[in-house]
Amino acid sequence: MPAAEMTVGRQGHYAGAASRIVAFAADIGASWGLYTLGVALLNAAIKLITGRSFTLTNHQGVAFIVLVVWEFFYFTYQWAVSGKTLGMAVFGLQVVTKEGGPIKPGQAVRRTIGLAVTLFLTVGIGFLGIVFQRERRALDDFIAGTAVVYDWDARAARLRWIARKEGPHPQGQQVGRAA
Amino acid sequence: MSNPIGSRVEQLAQSLAEHIVPLIVDAIDIDAILDKVDIDQIVSRVDVDKIVERVDVEKIVERVDIQKIIERVDINAIVDEIDIDALVEQTELGSIIARSTTGVLTEILDVIRSQGVGLDDFILRWGNRLIGRGRRLATWPDGPPLLVKPKVAAS
Repeated sequence: MPAAEMTVGRQGHYAGAASRIVAFAADIGASWGLYTLGVALLNAAIKLITGRSFTLTNHQGVAFIVLVVWEFFYFTYQWAVSGKTLGMAVFGLQVVTKEGGPIKPGQAVRRTIGLAVTLFLTVGIGFLGIVFQRERRALDDFIAGTAVVYDWDARAARLRWIARKEGPHPQGQQVGRAA
Repeated sequence: MSNPIGSRVEQLAQSLAEHIVPLIVDAIDIDAILDKVDIDQIVSRVDVDKIVERVDVEKIVERVDIQKIIERVDINAIVDEIDIDALVEQTELGSIIARSTTGVLTEILDVIRSQGVGLDDFILRWGNRLIGRGRRLATWPDGPPLLVKPKVAAS
């Protein structure tokens, strides 16, 4: 069972580097998988309609533009709607404003652009703020005016652990705070 | 018609009583008298059941303002005193929670997320310790002001 300080009461706290990187990797995987599935469906649909074989990846320029648009849509839409992507939902993270409120669509757009800038223009150096900045904000967070927090119900998770570990109890035991 | 002699005597008697009674009372050692009285014996002779029977408890309860009492009780302080972990560990509540909320997916997510939190703390602590800012972490905010109460500065 994890220590209480690692679970209880962490909801709303700034999320750290490991959770954010793994969630981002999961998002890259999920978006890439959906892109590949979409391209395969598109190829099949064109072949079905025209009778001619079509492969998007043979048209490198178009494929690149479609990929960029898709990735932009994938992140922006999910952040704008719920403040979290698929990967972030799995790892219990949420994007909020730097004050802690829900983000606006404009911030979601700025954050997606900021993410690309941090990844490609700063070669990832912009992510160091997650470890060394007092509010654990990366460059994309500064560009969008956002922060990333833990969103999962850690207290309920701890109670589930205790419940699984202990199971039914012997009757008549007293319950109270330890001195 | 009033008797002037009778009225005079009455006044004299009253005046005497006013002077004498305090002197007598001062002279009496109440503690000594109480020491001689066996209170236990007196109490044992009192029939408490009979007194209780004559008291209309329902009438007294009706006069009690329960709402006022509840308002004066600090429920939050009572709840804070309850050790939720112990409650789950030692009662059927634990198995009820486990049965109602635990699925394989939930269990996997709980493990992954808590491991992530542990790793996050490790990286934050050691990353800042390496550049000599380990002590500053204690003053850093835990979360955005709308979600987490700001830390109180140590005096």
